Amino acid sequence: MVSQGRLASRNIWRRRELLLVVAMAAIVVASTLAHPYFWSSRNISFILADSMVVTFLALGETFVMLARGIDLSVAPILGLSAVIVGFRAQDHGLGLVPAVFLGAAVGIVLGVGNALLVSIVGLPPIIATLGTLSVYGGLQFVVTGGRQVDHVPTTYTNVGTRDFFKGVPYVLLIGLAAVVITAGVLRHTPFGRSVYAVGDDVEAAYRAGIPVRRTLFLSYVVCGFFAGLAGVVYLMRTGSAVATTGTDTNSNLLAIAAALIGGTALTGGRGGAFGGLLGAVFLSLTLTAMVFARIQPVWQPAGVGVLILLAVVFDRRTRRGAVTRWRRKAQTQS
Amino acid sequence: MTSIAVDTRRRPAVWGTALAVAIAAELVYFTLTTRHFAEHGHGMLVLTEQFMPTGVLALGAALVILTGNIDLSSGAVASLSAIIVGTQLHDGASIASAIVVAVVVATGVGALNGAVISLLHIDSLLVTLATQFIAGSVATSIGGENPPYNFSRIFLRLGTGTVAGLPIALLIFLVLAAATALLVTRTVFGRSLVLIGYSRSAADYSGISATRVLMGVFTLSGFAAGVSGVLLAAFYNAARADSGTTLLLPAITMVVLGGVDIFGGRGRVGEVVLAVFLLGFLTQGLLIEGYSSLTATMVTGLLLIAALVLKVWLSRAPGQSLSRAMQNALRRRLRLAGPS
Amino acid sequence: MDWRQYAGRCRNGAGEASVTTRAEQTPSPGIDGFALTYTAQGICKSFSGVRVLADVNVDFKAGEVHTLLGENGAGKSTLLKIMAGVYSHDAGELRLNGELLHGLSPRDAQRHGVYLVPQEPRLMPDLSVAENVYLGALPRGGLRFNVGWRSMADHARELLSAVGLHVSPHSLAGDLSLAQQQLVECARALAHGCKVVFFDESTSPLTAYDADRLFQLMNQLRGEGLALGFISHRLDEVEAISDRITVLRDGRVVGEAERGAITRAEMTRLMVGRELAITARAAHEKVAPAKPVLDVQHLASPPQVKDMTVQVRAGEIVGFAGLVGSGRTEFAESVFGLRAFTGSITIDGRTSARPTPRKSIDRGLVYLAEDRGRNGVFAEVDLSRNVTASTIRRLPRKMRVLLGLSEERSIARDALQSTRVKAATMASPIKTLSGGNQQRALFARWILAHPKVAILDEPTRGVDVGAKEGIYEIIEQLAKEGVGVLVISSEMEELIRLCDRVYVAYEGRITGELLGDDISLESMGRLAVGAT
Repeated sequence: MVSQGRLASRNIWRRRELLLVVAMAAIVVASTLAHPYFWSSRNISFILADSMVVTFLALGETFVMLARGIDLSVAPILGLSAVIVGFRAQDHGLGLVPAVFLGAAVGIVLGVGNALLVSIVGLPPIIATLGTLSVYGGLQFVVTGGRQVDHVPTTYTNVGTRDFFKGVPYVLLIGLAAVVITAGVLRHTPFGRSVYAVGDDVEAAYRAGIPVRRTLFLSYVVCGFFAGLAGVVYLMRTGSAVATTGTDTNSNLLAIAAALIGGTALTGGRGGAFGGLLGAVFLSLTLTAMVFARIQPVWQPAGVGVLILLAVVFDRRTRRGAVTRWRRKAQTQS
Repeated sequence: MTSIAVDTRRRPAVWGTALAVAIAAELVYFTLTTRHFAEHGHGMLVLTEQFMPTGVLALGAALVILTGNIDLSSGAVASLSAIIVGTQLHDGASIASAIVVAVVVATGVGALNGAVISLLHIDSLLVTLATQFIAGSVATSIGGENPPYNFSRIFLRLGTGTVAGLPIALLIFLVLAAATALLVTRTVFGRSLVLIGYSRSAADYSGISATRVLMGVFTLSGFAAGVSGVLLAAFYNAARADSGTTLLLPAITMVVLGGVDIFGGRGRVGEVVLAVFLLGFLTQGLLIEGYSSLTATMVTGLLLIAALVLKVWLSRAPGQSLSRAMQNALRRRLRLAGPS
Repeated sequence: MDWRQYAGRCRNGAGEASVTTRAEQTPSPGIDGFALTYTAQGICKSFSGVRVLADVNVDFKAGEVHTLLGENGAGKSTLLKIMAGVYSHDAGELRLNGELLHGLSPRDAQRHGVYLVPQEPRLMPDLSVAENVYLGALPRGGLRFNVGWRSMADHARELLSAVGLHVSPHSLAGDLSLAQQQLVECARALAHGCKVVFFDESTSPLTAYDADRLFQLMNQLRGEGLALGFISHRLDEVEAISDRITVLRDGRVVGEAERGAITRAEMTRLMVGRELAITARAAHEKVAPAKPVLDVQHLASPPQVKDMTVQVRAGEIVGFAGLVGSGRTEFAESVFGLRAFTGSITIDGRTSARPTPRKSIDRGLVYLAEDRGRNGVFAEVDLSRNVTASTIRRLPRKMRVLLGLSEERSIARDALQSTRVKAATMASPIKTLSGGNQQRALFARWILAHPKVAILDEPTRGVDVGAKEGIYEIIEQLAKEGVGVLVISSEMEELIRLCDRVYVAYEGRITGELLGDDISLESMGRLAVGAT
């Protein structure tokens, strides 16, 4: 009697999760056979820790994508959060807990900017966030003013790079906690349910009395919030931040790719938090395996691009089946 | 029975006039405040060379946006084209064949985008987001450690040469712009793409083949990116793998600023051309005044948003409040029922 | 009265708006005579220039079923949607127990206790029935911010049995039949504690059995003191269920009567505004049957179309009757090339294996779509481009490439004048025309394609009653010129008025073919519900 409000598409979902796990296992086995070092606690820990920044971004992107939107500005939000928190930490010795709050606040403020444009003014999310992408990117340069963050207190990098247990880094625990909380919000709060409903059928949601505008607004704010947290995690991982942080690592692409690969559809209404985590780990694993396979790093973006296309093509097939099922039932049983 | 007037008058070009006035104002401002801006008009003309690659890219983007789609890959495809033309020239290919190879490859990538989008019915945003990075990787890989530079003088004339005092790049842009305008207003293909932009479903029910048209549109966007890449290589006398990527945002901004409806359908190529000059001169003016290129990018982003908000405001029905207009914009975007 | 108790508990648990809470504290209306009334005064509404409602006054009272009666396009549905917050109104006011309601959204309406059960239920297929019932006001669980899944399922179970639906609250909404989904919508109204419930043609997609079950539920709710609004154009239903009847025509109230104070004939006269013109059919009865221009054999396009064989001869007007969901539109879309199908389609002697709309038009088959706003007009586009949209490739060109725009305009104008479209200028967007004129313009579009056979799907939907006759004349003119016409219509009077022959479909199969004098309301009605 726990999961009564579960998504029906869970079957599809399970299939997706299974496929991902199988694919990941195959990659791990193949890479380990070629390079025994691949299956070492250090490398596994690195892969997991490395996926956490993208996990946080993907969690945020999951909210907007579930509500049938997209946010192309998470990269500079991450960057701004990283440099603002980084400077406070470097220059004023900001503690870890206040740092998390500061990063979240930066993300929320910037997220509100997107939310205003998309849900209040009514602009299409692609174009609106393409605009804020450059505005926030510019702000990041203004904030750095030619300086860079390169020696944050070691309390940060300890969390980011050390293991809690062999192969289990601290950041992974933080990330898992975030994923579990997010999954709970999506599954067990009225807001979470509204996000699904708006993405599934906005007309029906509106008529059923769901506050469509407020739901959209909040989903972009939440996306900003997670991108802000991702900035803090980035700082913990690398200990540095510069004017192009976020943008230079194709964070937008990775965030959207992780969510898509994890089964969250751009057409809204399907997917979830665990998908974002799985997608991020899958990406990190694949990219690391590419390094082990001596594929030049220039091909990494292409790899991610191909994965996006595959994820979408695969998703379309499952989705089509679901739609026909629904139509047939509705028509024939009357 | 009363007869229906065959009205050849066009809609008053309010937006176009506003753009023209804005261009005039900005030229006057920069001429007065910046010593090297005008130089008896000659300086301004030479400045146009800087943003003609972006302008050509904007023409392709305009076609795509008129159908209600988007092509995020065009900037990266322009980079790819620049790299290809550069390496071809370095490998000793003739200028003509180098250009042809580069443009054909770019057009091919566009056709590929179109095929995936229209045959598999996948959102253009996703497909072009993916191909953007694939094209980027290919470009970086071909370019290698030392991307090609230092091309022959004849090739460079494409980017910086003049004919009768007019920059060749400007002439190429104007010819392509005229062709695009004719294509949109006066051909079967153009009419089809505009109607698809206004209403995809009504177009389907009218026997307009969206598959063919979308294939064509994305192919043309790839072609425009190819030409843009060649101009880039010729202007900078070097081919860099990221040279085109930064052009995407200004190109889309030019299209939106040029009054093309992001939902498709409404828009005029002529006004996009005006927007190309408006944004181009603005960026160059800011750079000459000593602002960083990042400031220019920020201004571009702000302009993009401002133009969109302004359009929502202008789209109000008489007597309608702004908040009501914004509500309607949201309803329209979400395709909610009710009054349009 | 169990459900109200549950609704109240969930609502209080959700900490919902004060308005409803206050309403709940007042004594239940059915018991001690407190009169709940929801009134609309002077409501006016236009859709893109087309006047839909003009100064309409109507009220709904507790313990009463108030039926709005009228032809398609009379404005009944729009009125109820305005009162339920789905549409906004241009002028007039809505008062619930005297309290003025401003800028109503569906959410506000539900908080005030008003819910509209739509014609076709619109549930979230991937969500459970229970969640669909409580969508928009999910009950909270023990932590105050979480959804109380368990209590929700329990309450939903009670509500479902209250509306007579015996399915598990955990089953998926997408797995229910149309009738069951309709009942879920009713349960939603109760879950939100609604006192005023509107049924917008809720019986039209239902079989007679399911419709009866819905009426039982309505009677039960009336007994519990709810104010019910009902829309229908089936007169027998209306007589059976209504306490009060208001007749609308062309967006105006033309009559109001208590139960029993009005005869069916009077209702019909009020609705239509004239006596039924059945005699006009004689005028084209003599057309000599020619070769078939459209020959469709055993067409199937699951799930809606199972087996349909239809023939149309040149110069003939053939009707296609059936209920919503009988597969008529899907049949037409398959023939036109918009859906995959099996079976054979022969247009004018040529078999088309895999038609696309483009190929069909080239072969002489055109299809006037049912949903004019979505699939017919390009609303923002000027008249001229709207009219030539299907024949762009046939327009005269200069140097074989460039379209001759002035020639195009005059071609379009000639076509528009042949269908007597009233418009000031070719440059005005088509959305500024009235519904009837928009439809005439679409006829002009298809006439330009020189069709051999025309499938017209609900050709007079959204057309003023006064303008329908004009559309009929265009259709007759087409037939006179040798075009084979297939008219799909839910208005049986229309088919009687127009057709030489009528096919009737039920659940994806042709159940009968009627000729000449056999075409009657009774015969079509019987075949349309599957009876023989």
